[in-house]
Amino acid sequence: MSEQKFERGTNLSIFVSDRREDIAALIFAFAIAFGVLLTS
Amino acid sequence: MVYTIKSSALLIIGIIMLAWAGLNNSGTIDGMQSYLLASDYKDHAKVMKKYEAQLKAATDKAAVAGEPAPEMKMPASKFDQSKATQSKMSNFFGGAFVLIGLFTLVWKPKPGNLDYFVSVVPGIAYILLIAFIVRWGLDPIFGNLGKAAEGTLGWNFAKIFNLNYVVLGIVIGIIAVNVFRIPAWAANGVRTARFFLKTGVILLGTLYSAAELAQLGGLSVVMIGAFVLGSVGMVLFMGKRMGTPNSMTAVLSSGMGVCGVSATVAAAPVVQAKAEEIAYTIGTILIWGVGCMFVFPTIGHLLNMGPVQFGAWAGTGILNSAQVAGAALAFDPRSIETLKVAEIFNITRVLFLPVIVLWLAAWYVKHEEGAQKVNLTQVLVAKFPVFVLGFIAMFALSSTGVFAPAGHYKGKYFSSSEIKEDKLLKSDETSALQGELDRLRGAEGSQALSKYLTENHVTLGKRNVTSDDVYTALTELAANKKIMTREEDSVLESLAKMDGLDETAKEAIGTAHKAAYHTSKSIKEYRNWIAWLFAFGLIGLGMQITGKALKQAGGAPLVIGGVVGTAKAIGSLIVVMLFVKEFI
Repeated sequence: MSEQKFERGTNLSIFVSDRREDIAALIFAFAIAFGVLLTS
Repeated sequence: MVYTIKSSALLIIGIIMLAWAGLNNSGTIDGMQSYLLASDYKDHAKVMKKYEAQLKAATDKAAVAGEPAPEMKMPASKFDQSKATQSKMSNFFGGAFVLIGLFTLVWKPKPGNLDYFVSVVPGIAYILLIAFIVRWGLDPIFGNLGKAAEGTLGWNFAKIFNLNYVVLGIVIGIIAVNVFRIPAWAANGVRTARFFLKTGVILLGTLYSAAELAQLGGLSVVMIGAFVLGSVGMVLFMGKRMGTPNSMTAVLSSGMGVCGVSATVAAAPVVQAKAEEIAYTIGTILIWGVGCMFVFPTIGHLLNMGPVQFGAWAGTGILNSAQVAGAALAFDPRSIETLKVAEIFNITRVLFLPVIVLWLAAWYVKHEEGAQKVNLTQVLVAKFPVFVLGFIAMFALSSTGVFAPAGHYKGKYFSSSEIKEDKLLKSDETSALQGELDRLRGAEGSQALSKYLTENHVTLGKRNVTSDDVYTALTELAANKKIMTREEDSVLESLAKMDGLDETAKEAIGTAHKAAYHTSKSIKEYRNWIAWLFAFGLIGLGMQITGKALKQAGGAPLVIGGVVGTAKAIGSLIVVMLFVKEFI
């Protein structure tokens, strides 16, 4: 993996910054949480 | 730069998933599935037996009445539900991967967002296929083998060595990258692993509630707090002295301080830990935990410790949940008193996770900036991992009872009012309970009951359970045909372990207990989501651990882990022997 070069993000992430990855994870997690709440 | 690589791999993965769904739906692989889904299959056999008996009765009744045989459909068993879930997931992802796979074969990609995001899909499919194999195949295979070997070995090797989807996922990831290498078409998608892990960590907040913390005894909170914070502080201090990287030190401190593997995974993104640092930490915790599991019970017996003392010690001194339970059961295999105490301490420790994550986030931000004087507030605002706040927000929301019934424990909650009519005790069961009540009120029975309650330190909160508590609980159960309160349930559960109790009465208590506890559907769903997100994320993380990187990490974590683990075990032993008596 370390030999791969990516123009965007880092070797560990497809997102341009950790903050952006956090926010995306936050939105996704809350979507799951409330999705489950509404369907169960 | 164009990211999408033309390859038929995505299409093939999609076809494999669709094929699995097809075989599952047609029943072709039911024989194999009955082995892999062994416990669900037991339920299937029960449901089938009940259905056949009901069908026969209905057919006989119809024959007597001269009517045609009724049409009945067998209700879905857990086995059917599990198979349906597998098929649903395989169909959904398989279908999507086939469509995108076909699209990428005919499409001419140009640099841009569409190319970038399409190129991520084959890697996601690659990890997901491995996750399916691990969760639906390897995890149950090791589980079954562990159980089968228990008779010969005397212990379940799969449980003790944590050979579950978490560890297996990382190992498979490591094998994939070191033996086969990551294919070029999957490289971009593998980088989504950390994103899915972070999502899983935020969702973890739905499983805990402040109400659980409030129910616990004061000593467990104080004792665990001191040892958790002490261990974390000690690892951070030693890491600095020994010159290990900040991310390595921080992630090790979380694993050593809180609750092993899950704490390590939760703290890793906060401190930007590398995959090999996580692997090292998990390795250290598992080696230490397995050693403790064998040594703790022996020391406990040598020091003649009581169940509360040993439970408190194991729940504080051993790092990983599975090994805490293993040590408690090894110490006291006949009753679950020790296990219950150990679990209380273990849960308390897990509840410290948000505090530790915040501490480590602040510590890491401060130390990673180097020797320069920095404005901590500014740096925290700029660099603080926002997903940690998501976890805290989810935890706070969970405490209000939004996601699950208040007071649930591991997704199960007590509710007398929700017991259905068909789950009430039958007349032969209430008669047996009444008979036992009369016997225990007699001279001989009351003496035996009193002796049992005293010798086994049967407690209710902070007080001893009396014979009157037992009489009241039995009277209420026989009259109402169900357990009315959580306290009565606790008293009856202890009574059911008493030697010489009538078997029908004992079974009636078990039936009533089962009927009073309900599984929260939402918590079950959250657990499922978290399990999949972690499985996916950890396989992806494993794919970033190369042999070369592990060599670079060195042996310092093992030294720090050993020193801090020993200090924690000895320190908690001294505190337990000095301060923990009969009650928590």
